[in-house]
Amino acid sequence: MNQEHDAGPGRSGVSRRNFLGGGLVAAAVTPLLTGQAEAKAAAAPTVDGVAQVTVRAAVNGSPVTVRVDPRATLLDTLRERLDLKGTKKGCDRGQCGACTVHVDGRRVLSCLTLAATTTGREVTTIEGLADGDRLHPMQQAFVEHDGLQCGFCTPGQIMSAVAMVDDEGGADSDDEIRERMSGNICRCSAYPRIVDAIRDAQQVMR
Amino acid sequence: MPRSQVGRDTDRVDGRLKVTGAAEYSGDYRAADLAHAHLVTSTIARGTITSIDPAAALASPGVLRVYAAPESRLALYEVTGQAAGFTENYLPLKSDVVRFHGQAVAMVVAETPEQARDAAALVTVTYDAQPPRTSIADEPHVPAGPTISGAPSSLEILAPGVGSIDAALAASDVVVEAEFHQNVQHHVGMEPHAILAVWDGDQVTIHAGAQIPGPYALAMAQRLGILPQSVRLITRYVGGGFGARVVLWSDTPLAAAAARELGRPVRLVLTREQMFTLTGHRSHLTQTVRLGASRQGVLNAVSHRSVAERPTTIAFTMTPAHSTSDALYRTPNLHVDAQVAVLDIPGSRAMRGPNEAPGAFALETAMDELAVATGVDPVTLRLRNQATAHPATGLPWSSKHLDECYRLGAERFGWAGRSATPRTRVDGQWLYGTGMATAIYPAHRRAGVVARVRLLDDDTAVVSTATSDLGTGSATMVAISGADALGIPVQRVTPEIGDTLLPPGAPAVGSSGTHATVPMVVDAARNVIAELKRLAVTADRSPWHGAAVEDLRYERGILHGLGHSLTFGRLLTTIGSPGIYKESAPGGQPVPGYVHHSFGAHFCEVRVNRFTGETRVTRFTTVADVGRVINAKAARSQLVGGVIFGIGHALLEENHLELDTGRLASSTLADYLVPVNADVPDIDVVMLDRPDPVLTGPLGDGSEDVGTGSLGARGLGEIGTVGSAAAIGNAVYNATGIRVRDVPITLDKLIDHL
Ligand code: FES
Ligand code: FES
Repeated sequence: MNQEHDAGPGRSGVSRRNFLGGGLVAAAVTPLLTGQAEAKAAAAPTVDGVAQVTVRAAVNGSPVTVRVDPRATLLDTLRERLDLKGTKKGCDRGQCGACTVHVDGRRVLSCLTLAATTTGREVTTIEGLADGDRLHPMQQAFVEHDGLQCGFCTPGQIMSAVAMVDDEGGADSDDEIRERMSGNICRCSAYPRIVDAIRDAQQVMR
Repeated sequence: MPRSQVGRDTDRVDGRLKVTGAAEYSGDYRAADLAHAHLVTSTIARGTITSIDPAAALASPGVLRVYAAPESRLALYEVTGQAAGFTENYLPLKSDVVRFHGQAVAMVVAETPEQARDAAALVTVTYDAQPPRTSIADEPHVPAGPTISGAPSSLEILAPGVGSIDAALAASDVVVEAEFHQNVQHHVGMEPHAILAVWDGDQVTIHAGAQIPGPYALAMAQRLGILPQSVRLITRYVGGGFGARVVLWSDTPLAAAAARELGRPVRLVLTREQMFTLTGHRSHLTQTVRLGASRQGVLNAVSHRSVAERPTTIAFTMTPAHSTSDALYRTPNLHVDAQVAVLDIPGSRAMRGPNEAPGAFALETAMDELAVATGVDPVTLRLRNQATAHPATGLPWSSKHLDECYRLGAERFGWAGRSATPRTRVDGQWLYGTGMATAIYPAHRRAGVVARVRLLDDDTAVVSTATSDLGTGSATMVAISGADALGIPVQRVTPEIGDTLLPPGAPAVGSSGTHATVPMVVDAARNVIAELKRLAVTADRSPWHGAAVEDLRYERGILHGLGHSLTFGRLLTTIGSPGIYKESAPGGQPVPGYVHHSFGAHFCEVRVNRFTGETRVTRFTTVADVGRVINAKAARSQLVGGVIFGIGHALLEENHLELDTGRLASSTLADYLVPVNADVPDIDVVMLDRPDPVLTGPLGDGSEDVGTGSLGARGLGEIGTVGSAAAIGNAVYNATGIRVRDVPITLDKLIDHL
């Protein structure tokens, strides 16, 4: 995929739309639908008659090679194939933010990201944020400020917040934090404490 | 010496696990040879299934089973007796009858979740549809039946010589009458329901989010036709409850029955869309409140009637006047009445402040209208009508500091400078206004709760009880209460919850978890300390061998007496014991003769855009009288979260029931709106921290070895939600002069009148 041509909010260039539009090169190499016999002969193996795509990405700093159905989302691949279950599925359609991860340092919704688009990219999940036992400042701030209750939205909130500060330069006011964190729903409504946590962690991170 | 953490800010014991993604929710568990299920749901609201064609799904890759209604392979049974009210009244997938739009009609099981989902889309169903009953206005109204606490849902108390409530109203100087409507609301816990069922012989282990683990497992056993002890339910991390995880829905029995039939573990995860029809909602309802008062605003008559839906499969009995209009204000004439209309709509369930949130919206809006009609300040009006005895029963409260909530809240918020005249504060395109309302929520103490305390030879303790932590902080509460009772630091206490192998725990419902749990933890600690002393005087290698227990004193984890002092860990090591444990007696009811409620006062400021009608909440202060506070940090979060539910109630949340089809119109988070960060200002919450001297038993006088500092608590999961929507609506009135009685207050309801 040609990253230069990606623009707008989905700057990482790994949205489903970009894959379907710009990703046809990959589809041409590994036909999406092919018969069982052909598949055996073809370079790309098939599962259930669907040619699999080989994804080579760095996940939380380690090289990962995984063959996936071209339709598999990054979210399902992380959770079901790579056993990284810290990333949560709250809606599976880009409406809640629970599945937020980083691709090349940018926050993306992994439920709207095809795994196949992440080859050559760095994927970071909540499991990759802490430095061994040392929590990332954002994680630490969420604990200290009680920026969570049930915790289900929390991995997404934290990944979103970290990229908001690191990749997007942070927020200059509480209102800006609120605005820029509004893609992450928290039904427990820890919102005010999430704002406190981000305000604090941002100081440490900057 | 450790100081007690009770009432201070304590980080959640599971905070680290939650911020690192290591906390495992039901859908995160795996099992060898796991198969994956996906449901197909009905597209009519009432009728029968005439055919289900599974052929395409069966031919689809990886598919192991297509179960289709009426399905004979799944063994599911009626739930009877007490547990019957704890689940739906039909056997999922067992008959061809469709009872609501979005009911499970087929289930595909496949090797992978994707295969199951894809194949489910290939199942075709044909129906013989009948017109659904969908209108609470048009369907016959019947009495709602007893309230959740067993009180009658209709009640009339008249002053001597008064013939009827209508007569009492007619005789009042000032009368306010208002009708309120709200649509269906949904719990929307962020974790969609997920179930993993693993059989081992005739034993099944279920991973599922459940607010009341014990009864949930009991109903499950009956559904599966097995003994209660054959079901183990693990519900350690739960992604929000709010009422949707109280009863046994169709999802868990279907997953477990499929796993049994297939001979493999099965995982079923509901989609967000399915959550809207398969896991309950708050009923839509209409309420009419009539208040009669003197010109000074002193109430002479209160009447509160409601009509709500009653789904056919399982229903939460909606009695919105219960614990609101029948409890809040002193009045010589009181009339409450709750009716329902049977509809073909998905099952309903209690949702945060189930009766009280809608009830208080109606009553507290009407009180604001009375304040306007009489010219009495809203705070003054409420203080003037404060009840000192419970209006419906005449009983005193165990603890009530509502007047202090009003006064402190008014002071913190700066209520005094308020203009009662609408539309007096304009700033550019924004109209500003302020409003207030009262919060009230009953405190029920559930019987039968048991806690167990283990003392270990490494000077740590384990406190166990099968309650559930939905994000409430109950695991941390258990640790703090245990630490206070044993006089040791919280870090040395491991709480164990969320597993039916543990002693029966408190239901995580009705704001009752905390006050049902703490006395049992204290009692178990008391018993284990007695056991420790008994061991100290009987064990051979103990320095106190042969002494009398009266010679020993336990203090802060250490036994003292006769010139010796040993920590309990040291003593256990010395006598060669790895640990000892004791359970509490099963918890009972509080002493009779009192009513128990928590109280609060909300104050808020909104701004409404003059041109678009958009409403933003700009300031919010809540003062809550919730008894003893165990963990100020988590308690504040609970109250703040409750208030934000009120913001959703007032401004955002509704699902329309389509009258023709019986379909709930919204089924995603893009069309059912819940508050997001930008909708929420900072929320100022204060807790009075006044221990309730009755609800959890005598408070303790410091004379015992066991610490009693956590007694006197009341739960607080719901009180923030009650009344907060009314405070916002009242502020909108103050800003605009427009009274909206049909929530949510969306801009279309304002824009034509601005
Ligand atoms: S799961 Fe991806 S946005 Fe909700
Ligand atoms: S902490 Fe529960 S949804 Fe955010």
